[in-house]
Amino acid sequence: MTDVTVKELAPADRSAGKRATGKIVFYATVIFMCVVLVLPVIAFFINAFAFRWFYPQLIPDEWSLQAWQRLGLLPPPGQFSIENLFAQWASVPDVVRALGLSLWIGFLVTGVSIVIGMPAARALGMYSFRGKRLIEFIIITPTIVPPIAFSLGLNINFIRWDLALEAAGINLGLSGSVLGVSIVHLVPVMPYVVLTLSGVFANYNADFEAQARTLGAGPFRTFWHVTFPAILPGLFVACLFAFLVSWSQYLLTFLIGQGRVITLPILLFSAAGSGNNAVIAALSLIFIAPAVLILLVSSRYLSGESGAVGGFGRV
Amino acid sequence: MKLSTLKNAAIAATAALAISASATAQDLPGFTSWDEVVEQARGETVYWYMWGGSDAINGFVDEFYGVPLQEEYGITLERVPVADTVDVVNQVISEQQAGATGDRGTVDLIWINGENFFTLRQADLLYGPWAEGIPNAALVDWDNPAIYLDFGRPVDGYESPWSSAQFHFVYDSARLDEDELPRSYAELSDWIEANPGQFTYMAPGPGAFVGTRFVKQLFFELSGGHDQWVGEFNEDLYNEWAPQVWQTLIDWQPNLWREGETYPANQSETDQLFANGETAFTFTQSPSGAAPSIAAGIVPPTSQAFSFNDYMIGDFNYVAIPFNAPNKAAALVTANLILRPDRQAFQVQPEYGFCCGWGIDVSRVTDPDQVAAIDAAMQNLGDAAEDPSILAGALVADIAAEYQTRIEADWERYVLRGEPLPQ
Repeated sequence: MTDVTVKELAPADRSAGKRATGKIVFYATVIFMCVVLVLPVIAFFINAFAFRWFYPQLIPDEWSLQAWQRLGLLPPPGQFSIENLFAQWASVPDVVRALGLSLWIGFLVTGVSIVIGMPAARALGMYSFRGKRLIEFIIITPTIVPPIAFSLGLNINFIRWDLALEAAGINLGLSGSVLGVSIVHLVPVMPYVVLTLSGVFANYNADFEAQARTLGAGPFRTFWHVTFPAILPGLFVACLFAFLVSWSQYLLTFLIGQGRVITLPILLFSAAGSGNNAVIAALSLIFIAPAVLILLVSSRYLSGESGAVGGFGRV
Repeated sequence: MKLSTLKNAAIAATAALAISASATAQDLPGFTSWDEVVEQARGETVYWYMWGGSDAINGFVDEFYGVPLQEEYGITLERVPVADTVDVVNQVISEQQAGATGDRGTVDLIWINGENFFTLRQADLLYGPWAEGIPNAALVDWDNPAIYLDFGRPVDGYESPWSSAQFHFVYDSARLDEDELPRSYAELSDWIEANPGQFTYMAPGPGAFVGTRFVKQLFFELSGGHDQWVGEFNEDLYNEWAPQVWQTLIDWQPNLWREGETYPANQSETDQLFANGETAFTFTQSPSGAAPSIAAGIVPPTSQAFSFNDYMIGDFNYVAIPFNAPNKAAALVTANLILRPDRQAFQVQPEYGFCCGWGIDVSRVTDPDQVAAIDAAMQNLGDAAEDPSILAGALVADIAAEYQTRIEADWERYVLRGEPLPQ
């Protein structure tokens, strides 16, 4: 993000005065982004460890680990020892189980959405054909239609299909299962994946592939050594979108999971009504941690530059 | 399909017979004896859907029900936390629409009361009647209207009580003396005038039944009694007293927090205003008063519960079993365990975290060990609780659900939006 800003500003600045203005704009942007993005996280950190943080205390008078104890991540007050901590974690606290399940569903949905979305995106990005606009529109409809509109009906259908399959001797269990939840997560995820990737393919030059094929590479080698590296940055962004959209689903997970597939958002929503700010803040930290981690790890791929692809194109 | 429809019809017929035959001893539909229930429940898993917003309650359920269910009955308890019980209601309705009847549902037990119960009952989506047929139902005072009516609507054996709650107030003993406290709405009016800006109440409305309750109690006091409000919704009675109630609340406004332009929307906002010293009182539903909120660090440690002398609404919350529950036997055993006196004694003591009141009538318990457990629990309600005898003296039952709808709509109209009162 910041790199881009500097590069864009640099050639435009002719005089020293303009350069100074550019710098001010740059730093103002950085500070603004910090305030918007970082400050709430800091507030979460303070809340998660504060105890009885009431007005007029500017900073909390009392600190406590009660939120983490209530979440079962630390032994109860006065019983702290390494053995107890191990015992606590060995019994797999609800939060840890939910975290694991959220990650698992997130990765599964990401993988499947890329496999389904890539061919569609390539077709949409590289070729023009009759009805292309219509297909694009159909693909983005899930972002327009509120999830509640289709998920209530979908849940009923899932239950019906389960019953029908059960009668046929197949016990698939779509409704109330991780499988069903993962499938339904694909609905809001697919538009992001297809749109991001079709933007990548719109700027993708297939001549590179032709060149590789001419030089004797098979389809797989061509993909692995030419296509894949070329679209990698865009692919990363698509994966990131897919994962984060799946990661933050509450309503779909609840309705299709029937409350039995307990992911982190399910825990977070049910804790939000408790009024215990420390517990809510602690859960929120756990909720945003993987997202921030993934963003940090992948940030170097986000500049969107590579041989065959010039930025994000239309996206 | 046909078969299960027939079976349902048979169950419904049995149910109708059971109601007409007797209001006390019930058969359990689908079972011939309690022993059969316990036998069948062994090895089952009970999926108990409940509001999961309190880690203290979650922990209590896992420890005080999950452990004995496993050890004594061989039942595995799966607690399913939901953000709002209405989500579970929708789930059961979806299953019915999809044709998941018989025992092919997913929900075994629901923590429920009021509107959610009424919705499922009206759609005939509950298993029963069973609540008066489980052994520990003998400990429940089924002649108490606060138990056999849920928000004014008959329970008819389709839900069994778990615990009770009663509206009362919390103040901070570091800021106020006990003898300064208002003990009636009339005294509260004077107090508000003498202490401008320091009082507010929860806006009556969905998600804030406590606020509605606060207004209902004003109806009782202004009209000089609670008895006339019991029973069916009485439009004339409501219209007779409503203008005075709205006038009282409007008269308070200049001296309310933020001059009554806005009101806290739920319990946690009300608690927060109190904790930050903006207002002098918050509300509690727990017989252990402020203790649970103190332990969670939500309110100052010097907080203390207090009750008016009269008209403090108390009610019960229940568990119900959907018509298509896959593990009905295990659900019945769980509902019965909930009423066991030793479990009930745990649930009232603040140190165990559940902090609601008795679901059973403790005077019906005869076993000496159980009586001792109850007496010990009574002594252990904590320092932040109001005297149980004062609470008991002020206790009144909640009234028909129509009042709630009317009060919420009219409050918004006349008090919040300030439309002129009808003449």
